[in-house]
Amino acid sequence: MTSPRRDDLLGELFRNPLDPGYAAAAARRGDAPPPRSGRWLTVVAMLAIGFLLAVAYHQVVQAAPGTSKARDDLVADVRARQKTADDLQRRAAELRAQVDQARDDALADGDSAARLRDLAAGTGTGKVTGDGVAVRIADAPPQVDPVTGRTQDENLGVVLDRDLQDIANGLWQSGAEAVAVNGQRLTATGTIRAAGGVILVDFRPVTSPYEVTAIGPPDLADRFNASATAKRFKRYVDEYRMQFGVKKRANLALAGAAEPPLKYARTPAPTPSSTPSGGPTR
Amino acid sequence: MIAVIALAIGVAAGVFLEPSVPLGLQPYLPIAVVAALDAVFGALRAKLDGIFDDKQFVVSFVSNVLVAALIVYLGDKLGVGGQLSTGVVVVLGVRIFGNVAAIRRHLFRA
Repeated sequence: MTSPRRDDLLGELFRNPLDPGYAAAAARRGDAPPPRSGRWLTVVAMLAIGFLLAVAYHQVVQAAPGTSKARDDLVADVRARQKTADDLQRRAAELRAQVDQARDDALADGDSAARLRDLAAGTGTGKVTGDGVAVRIADAPPQVDPVTGRTQDENLGVVLDRDLQDIANGLWQSGAEAVAVNGQRLTATGTIRAAGGVILVDFRPVTSPYEVTAIGPPDLADRFNASATAKRFKRYVDEYRMQFGVKKRANLALAGAAEPPLKYARTPAPTPSSTPSGGPTR
Repeated sequence: MIAVIALAIGVAAGVFLEPSVPLGLQPYLPIAVVAALDAVFGALRAKLDGIFDDKQFVVSFVSNVLVAALIVYLGDKLGVGGQLSTGVVVVLGVRIFGNVAAIRRHLFRA
């Protein structure tokens, strides 16, 4: 080992970790007993140190699970709200069935009741049963790089909201009388949209695999298979490994869509500076 | 002995009062903890060496915390807060290890 040098900072640090002040103070004191007056200073400092340690510990414990705890709470909250929404939906369906029943009872005239049911089936608010087709479409499995074993980020075979729109439109075009996506009945005002990578049918999320069921004439499956839409998706199967299949199904039952909220016409509130010709009401 | 009791009371106060640390002070907390630990272990070793001094302990604790906080503050302003924090932790950590080794030699003669 080389001889210690005075300007060797790190060496000094390692060799002599104790504050030299202690030795200096002891040398100054000599053999006299340590003064007792400084005792309270130490007590205060130790109090502060203990407090500091506890605060730091508390801070760390609080911060680490804080984020995951918040997430868990949110997840639980979402679950609870979903359950409430489902319950309410079920209750709405029950009440709707009761209303329909009462209406049918009230309409002594069988013809108008049947007409009403037909209209409800046509608009999508009434439950319908019958034979039809089920179009099953699913995302392509993620491409796995054979060398690295990692999945590739880009997957061209993901089903988009447009794809579901095209399939639904293709089914309507092929003569379908009622269409549902993953059990969500489509109505005249129904929407298929994407929000943040999730496809929403009437603002309720649906996930892959998607099943578009339709009730229609007996040759619905053949007509849809022959349509340009179906051909395009069959090409997607080859090109992007998307999964796509059309099957005939007997005794399909499509639940009615939630009744759209009624909108009431209102006279616009008179505005003081209204144009004589009357501008748009909204 | 009275110092240990004071430490325990301080910890208890910290646990029961559950103070919230202001956001601006949060980066200094870990550094302050390391500086405080350095002062405590230094004091313990001095005690075992028989050269403990109250004034020296209090001054070393306060100055350790202040200097460490100053270095982190300067580092934050200069954009090298992380590196300077690491430096503080390394230096104080070396000292803590050295003092703990001395304490260990005192207590276990090994």
